[in-house]
Amino acid sequence: MTRFIIRRLISIPLLLLGIVSIAFLISHNTQGDPLASIVSERQMDNPEVVAAAKARWGLDKSLPEQYVLYLRNLITGDLGTSFRTKQGVGKDILERLPATLELVIAAMILGVGSGIVLGVLAARFRNKPIDHAARLWALTGSSTPVFWSGLILLYIFSVVLGWLPGPGRLDPRSVPPEFMTGFLTIDTLLAGDFAAFGDALHHLILPALVLGWTVMGIVSRLVRGSMLDVLSQDYIVAARARGAGELRVLLNHALRNALVPTLTIIGFTFAYLITGAVLTETIFSWPGIGSYAVEAARNLDYPAIIGVTIVGGTAFLLSNLATDIAYAFADPRIRLS
Amino acid sequence: MGTIRQHLRVAAFLSASLSAVALLPGAAAAEGNTVVIARSFDFNSLDPARAFCDTCQIYLSNAYESLIGLGTDNKTLEPRLATKWTGNADQSQFTFTLDPDAKFSDGSPVEAKDVKWSFERLQNLKGGAAFMMDGVTKIDTPDATTVVVTLAGPNSEFLNILSAPYTAVVNSDVAAANGAAAGADAETADKAEEWFLANSAGSGAYQLVSYKADDEMRLKANQEYKRSKLSVTDVVFKHTKDAVTQAQLLESGGVDIAMQIDPDTAKTMNTDNLTVETIPSYNFLYVALAPGAKGAPKLTKEVREAISLALDYDGIIDFTVGGAGTKVSSPIPTGFPGTEGLAAPQQNLDKAKELMAKAGVADGFEINSEFPNMNAYGVDLSLLSQKIQQDLAKINIKMNLTPLEFSVWRDHVRGDGIPLTTSFYAPDYYGSAQYVQFFGMIEGQPWWNRAGGKNDASITNPETAELLKKALAATEADKPGVYKEIAESMMSDHIIIPVVSPNLVLAHSKKVTGVRYSACCNLLLNEIGVQ
Repeated sequence: MTRFIIRRLISIPLLLLGIVSIAFLISHNTQGDPLASIVSERQMDNPEVVAAAKARWGLDKSLPEQYVLYLRNLITGDLGTSFRTKQGVGKDILERLPATLELVIAAMILGVGSGIVLGVLAARFRNKPIDHAARLWALTGSSTPVFWSGLILLYIFSVVLGWLPGPGRLDPRSVPPEFMTGFLTIDTLLAGDFAAFGDALHHLILPALVLGWTVMGIVSRLVRGSMLDVLSQDYIVAARARGAGELRVLLNHALRNALVPTLTIIGFTFAYLITGAVLTETIFSWPGIGSYAVEAARNLDYPAIIGVTIVGGTAFLLSNLATDIAYAFADPRIRLS
Repeated sequence: MGTIRQHLRVAAFLSASLSAVALLPGAAAAEGNTVVIARSFDFNSLDPARAFCDTCQIYLSNAYESLIGLGTDNKTLEPRLATKWTGNADQSQFTFTLDPDAKFSDGSPVEAKDVKWSFERLQNLKGGAAFMMDGVTKIDTPDATTVVVTLAGPNSEFLNILSAPYTAVVNSDVAAANGAAAGADAETADKAEEWFLANSAGSGAYQLVSYKADDEMRLKANQEYKRSKLSVTDVVFKHTKDAVTQAQLLESGGVDIAMQIDPDTAKTMNTDNLTVETIPSYNFLYVALAPGAKGAPKLTKEVREAISLALDYDGIIDFTVGGAGTKVSSPIPTGFPGTEGLAAPQQNLDKAKELMAKAGVADGFEINSEFPNMNAYGVDLSLLSQKIQQDLAKINIKMNLTPLEFSVWRDHVRGDGIPLTTSFYAPDYYGSAQYVQFFGMIEGQPWWNRAGGKNDASITNPETAELLKKALAATEADKPGVYKEIAESMMSDHIIIPVVSPNLVLAHSKKVTGVRYSACCNLLLNEIGVQ
């Protein structure tokens, strides 16, 4: 398995080169004015100003020249400077990625955990009220737009009840901890500031619930379907005939096998949410990578578009690798080679 | 089943843990008076010579100072860094005397060399607001507190321009030491933009503590600022994109001021602890016609007038901002010099049909309308375009609507042109010339280009150009009269047809005082207090 992992890790840079090349070509051939966030509307008809801006940002060079220059910088770890934020794309990503990871990990823990429990219960009590309730809850979660559920939950828990804080990662009136990992729940603990830790957790609850509800909807339906398939298998009947307890049959015999197809979706969802949690990030003013990606695309911010593509591509490649490894653990019959 | 009961216990424990988290103490607040402001950031830079956006106006007017300020009536020019100024007879040379007590945030005095350096940098960097230094040919500094600015020709609006926050005076020694350049080669030599993202070098009431794009900006009171007593020690701007989220944050006490709540959302708010005021603004949205655009139908002057008469202006205000807006007579917004007494636009379908018939297009035509897919000053441009589509259908004009991302719209409007589009404008300072220079059908000016002036010379209006020269040489007393002539001249072009000036919602906690709308600067923090 070690050789498999090393081989896959080595292939990642090559795959990323392909992804970067495609992203470069597509973004540079998309209709639009990349100077939209550089030259003001008032000045955009001034040829002198436009020429100066193009020269400053390297847009006066031919496309092949820009491509070679980008790759040369990329090799040295320089992702370029964002047209929009005017700071290094690497710095932009490092500032935002931990915020997104913190949110996505919390949402995945909540969503996957509750999704598996609901899926197992729904399959075990098929066509019983608990099944109907679980399916309805899952369907609602996966079909409710997050901007709607986010605003409603904010209104109820923040505005009406006042139990949880509004959008943001931390109370803006407080002093944020020094940037160490970028995960506020960790940085506040490292700083020994338990009040700020509590505040960061408070702020994490609602967005993680909203995002996790969607994940839960997807996971619970998949687990239920897989569990129903597995529960009708002969080895389950055999296990029950041998007198195995119901919980042991469900968790050790059925769930372990039912989880194999679900792992793919969990891995895919995790990778997708790294750049795809944009609506949750917008509603909860969460300064993450999703909203950065959308703003980059809207403004034709080429360096940021490619930077985010690299992050998204890496997330997908690593999550695929992690899924393959998890397969091997979930089902010992699978051998990675 | 006993085991299932155990699992239920685990679930109950997890729920209790979550509840316990909700009971954890909140974070320690910063000392002093902190005001938190929710606003959707549109920063393009924090560098005074490059920044050009609504939020930039707020930042620059609070972290820096201009030579001249704008009074609370949004019209009168007041001393700021310059305690007095004089102009020569033909208004082509201005002499400013600086406040000898003015200090930058590092304690060093604001001197004439800083003013000269800042203006030259603004001009030579060719950034967003470089046009404000158009016509400046020479800046002399006979002593540390005197600045003499010489222009290529008369410009009666130069003093108004200097009240814009974009003409901020920067601490030249500090900025230069951090890579800033102001010389003729500044556009390549200057390397300070990133430094300005983390530092300010001004004499304004506040100074930059930290800035995180798309997240927050923190300011603290400038201890060297003596122009007024500051009752707020720290200001935090929170990037909050959505108007509803801004409203919820304000209602829940998460922020003290919300800057972009639209009038419809404002009506739904619980105002027990809030002040929610709807006031007129100088921002406006307009329809722009481009007779010279590729694929445009024949948009003669008669047809353009017919279009302007077909629009249901009252209906547009109701439809887009729930009635919380005003009509705008000319491309110079109501309240600016030259707009007094101008007739408000009215729908007149009979006359519109008559003009269409006279132009030989009684049966109408199809016209493509591309517009930025966004919300500007509380107006959804899609809604606005749909309403215009309905109105123009009444004179048999079929509008084909295409919403575009702003960057794509810019590409199209600068390229082949867009036969009919909608857009928006907010003032850069109090003065009417900016509108003439942007919207006037004067050869080479922005909207002359976009309307296809190069392809259709008939849209050029030499009268506007002549009147503008006259206005720039006019005395203060004569300016309103000349600008009124210009406004009427621009209205007769029917190229730029203003449709609504949306009201501005000032929403803040009742404990916050002094919140007002400033035409140059949006929000002045030094006037804000906390009870």
